[in-house]
Amino acid sequence: MPEIEFTIREETGEMELQVEGVQGPACSDIAKLVTDLVGAPAREENTREYYVSPQVARQVQQKKS
Amino acid sequence: MSKYLAFTEVVFKDRALLVSALESIGCTQIRQGENLAMGRYWAEQAETRADIIVPRGTVGNSFGDIGFMRVEGGAYAPVLDDLDKSRALGGKFLPRLRATYNELAVAQVAARVGGTMQRTVSGGVVKIRVRF
Repeated sequence: MPEIEFTIREETGEMELQVEGVQGPACSDIAKLVTDLVGAPAREENTREYYVSPQVARQVQQKKS
Repeated sequence: MSKYLAFTEVVFKDRALLVSALESIGCTQIRQGENLAMGRYWAEQAETRADIIVPRGTVGNSFGDIGFMRVEGGAYAPVLDDLDKSRALGGKFLPRLRATYNELAVAQVAARVGGTMQRTVSGGVVKIRVRF
């Protein structure tokens, strides 16, 4: 299940977030939702999963006999 | 994990969220408008203007009003006396405002993605998981 984990430090009010379970650039859409509200991040990293293309199930059609 | 973002700058991008966050931390009387004059209470205070103003004395800001001025990009930056920075809400005004603002922003993100929120607090760190 896709998840965003937000960490807010009470001492400074600073926030970090990690998006998990969202493959491909779809997670950039989620990042945009956040940056529209809190501004540009000081640090941003795309992790390996970011570069994985969403898998499309291959359909095999059987010949009717 | 597919993306990591860290936000460290003290600016508030959404005006409505900023006002809600200010109200949540006890700023019940807020003046709003555009380019409003902030109060001058001491001879050495220069004339300063802001768009959102928390009047002097509201949250222990005894040296002047606390303002938020619209800056390039449309965000709001705080304008306050250095002495108030260290005294308003026991010196925690900006950290509490940021934390509250960020929590409100998280709630809005959760609503937009149709997610459920799970909030935990441990050792001064608030963790909010949004599953969708």
